[in-house]
Amino acid sequence: MKGKAVLRIRAILFLFGAVLLSGSTGLLSALCGPFTDVSDAAFCPFVLEIFYLGITTGTTATTYDPTGNVTRLQMAAFLSRTVDGALKRGGRRASLDQFWTTQNATVLGVTTVGNDPELLASDGADVWVACSGNSLVARVRSSDGRLLETWTGAISAHDVLSAMGRVIVTGYTSPGQLYQIDPTQAAGAVTTVASNLGNRPDGIVFDGTRVWTANILGGSVSIVTPGPSLPWTVTTVTAGFTSPMGAVFDGANVWVTDYNAGKLFKLDGSGSILQTVTVDGLAANPVFDGSNIWVPCGGNSSVFVVRASSGAILATLIENGLNDSIGAAFDGQRVLVTNLGGDSVSLWKAADLTAIGTFATGTGSAPVGAASDGVNFWVALSGTAKLARF
Amino acid sequence: MRLGAGFKKVLVVTAAVLLGAGGWLLGNCGPFTDVAADVFCPFVLEIFYLGITTGTTATTYDPSGNVTRLQMAAFLSRSVDGVLKRGSRRAAGEQFWTTGNETVLGVTTLPFGANLVKSDGADLWVANSSRATVTRVRASDGKILETWTGATSAFGVLSAIGSIFSTGRTNPGAVYRIDPSQPAGVVTTVASSVGVNTGGIAFDGARIWTANSNSVSIVTPGASTPWSVTTVTAGFAGPNGAIFDGGNIWVTDGDTIKKLDSSGAILLTVTSSATEPMFPAYDGSNIWVPNFIGGTVDVIRASSGARLATLTSNGLFGAISASFDGQRVVVTDQANGGVSLWKAADLSPIGFFSTGAGSNPYGAASDGLNFWLTLQGTNGVTSALARF
Repeated sequence: MKGKAVLRIRAILFLFGAVLLSGSTGLLSALCGPFTDVSDAAFCPFVLEIFYLGITTGTTATTYDPTGNVTRLQMAAFLSRTVDGALKRGGRRASLDQFWTTQNATVLGVTTVGNDPELLASDGADVWVACSGNSLVARVRSSDGRLLETWTGAISAHDVLSAMGRVIVTGYTSPGQLYQIDPTQAAGAVTTVASNLGNRPDGIVFDGTRVWTANILGGSVSIVTPGPSLPWTVTTVTAGFTSPMGAVFDGANVWVTDYNAGKLFKLDGSGSILQTVTVDGLAANPVFDGSNIWVPCGGNSSVFVVRASSGAILATLIENGLNDSIGAAFDGQRVLVTNLGGDSVSLWKAADLTAIGTFATGTGSAPVGAASDGVNFWVALSGTAKLARF
Repeated sequence: MRLGAGFKKVLVVTAAVLLGAGGWLLGNCGPFTDVAADVFCPFVLEIFYLGITTGTTATTYDPSGNVTRLQMAAFLSRSVDGVLKRGSRRAAGEQFWTTGNETVLGVTTLPFGANLVKSDGADLWVANSSRATVTRVRASDGKILETWTGATSAFGVLSAIGSIFSTGRTNPGAVYRIDPSQPAGVVTTVASSVGVNTGGIAFDGARIWTANSNSVSIVTPGASTPWSVTTVTAGFAGPNGAIFDGGNIWVTDGDTIKKLDSSGAILLTVTSSATEPMFPAYDGSNIWVPNFIGGTVDVIRASSGARLATLTSNGLFGAISASFDGQRVVVTDQANGGVSLWKAADLSPIGFFSTGAGSNPYGAASDGLNFWLTLQGTNGVTSALARF
């Protein structure tokens, strides 16, 4: 009798153990995976999903407390883990089994482009890099890093925009130039679409209708309206600007950084300043992550994170290897900032602003521009005339 | 030297606190004075930085407070929106704009006669009935790569099984196959006994379904051609479009949309808000059905068949094709010469955007980065594929 009872208990314990060890759906009545207190069959799949996804761990290893309330603090954990899980799984990196972070200069994939590669953009398949040293724009295939084409005649080529099925490039001259590439044509000389921008256009951005450039010398912003004939119409606005450098569009407004003034300006549709956010000096090329604008500032080697909807500074990021920071890119999960002075890049998890680390790009590499194609970051190494896959 | 560096750091942190930024004062969590700097703080900060919560005030989060179902709706809705926005290919491409007008469409000119379009992930494939061709256009730059011939009355397009399929709007109807790994040439006819005037085409993971002017045909791929065809006529008035929701095929038909079982029998009939439902899109939860006559868009929950909403106005007059890009649904409006755009998650309108006078927008597809529209044109000479 006693032996039988012990045997039965052992059998039950064994069943529980098997369920717990395998983490599989429990088949015993009133069991839901590892949870003995979840009995509603209709809700069990939801509970199991957030357990398997790591969104909940349960209140203990075997209980979920299904009728308990959730405090706002607990809710923060559930929502934060939900967002993280969805972004991690939904990214192109996950489906390509690419969960690593490139650790050092040796394992960068590099392509030799022209001299002084500055800023760049992805068209979804290829990366286009402005190389001011040779006044050319290089087209590099993302999948294998092959240099496909070299477009010439882009005097002082500086920043690149992929929009309207074309590639638009700023010419860092006075007055400023705007070049266009028709990527369906055989590579050749770029077409100049406007030659009367403000002096030394640096950053470039598109708002869905017009192209904006931030012009650093003398301080202006140019708004260029594409048209069927050349040149395109240019309106240049100077009021309030000292030395605009970078530009970003948040879905509603264009923002520009002011390099020497250490400002981030939110602009209305005519280029007037709607809001001024004070950041650090040498405010360079920003990036928008869907919620916030990240502004690398070389002056104090800091990155300001600014909420686009309000202009509030959410955080000032320091350390993490920041050193003469100049370029930034977002890949859906992470923000990368280039350190011109540090020959490195700094990475953060974009959702909670936690630092991932600093990674060397090679002595003398002098990284400037950065872009993402959703799988890899691409970094222009101005010191070694290379484009690096990170 | 070290002193200098430390001094600079203190200055930066102080500035951050004064500015209401991420403070690291003892017992604080970012701007929130009532959240301890413990293991929960990063979670609170994440949903704050993401804009999912704003806190109960600028400096408090009320960590021990409960959440009502109403508040929960706001938190979940913002979480979903944030994930979709950040996770899309458009975010990584810094492409947060909506194409404003016809001048800034990226246009690839095609011969007159373009109908429906589909993406294979890298290239777009456009069926052309006038030229009996299927054209391959590279998405990254809009370049015409190839033109496949012999696709008589080419109309619908499907990318599946590593192949491209096109329907032939003929009597009887046809299904053509393209092996995109081969040099461009003549399409292969894999079925020539499909129902009359084949239009929309869909794949269920095993078989190809076509919507024909009086029937639905089920085509089973096989080792040799022709592939076997089963045509079902019972209950169909005049199917236009076909779509697969992960469980069932749906076809638009007359003034209804019908859910079919695996043999083509009608499981459910949902009455449309207007007449002549055309080429629908499935967004993972709901089916968006453009109605040509009446210019409405019905949003149908796939799991139940319930009509969640009937969308009107937003420029709609003669709706043709719907497409979903992960966040937004576009509907082409042939009559008004433009496209209507909605946020798919909450069905709110984004706007109506002109594709140009006489552009005659017809088909729509997405590659996750851009929408692609066929502009049939009216001059009898050229059509176009437009990046939107």
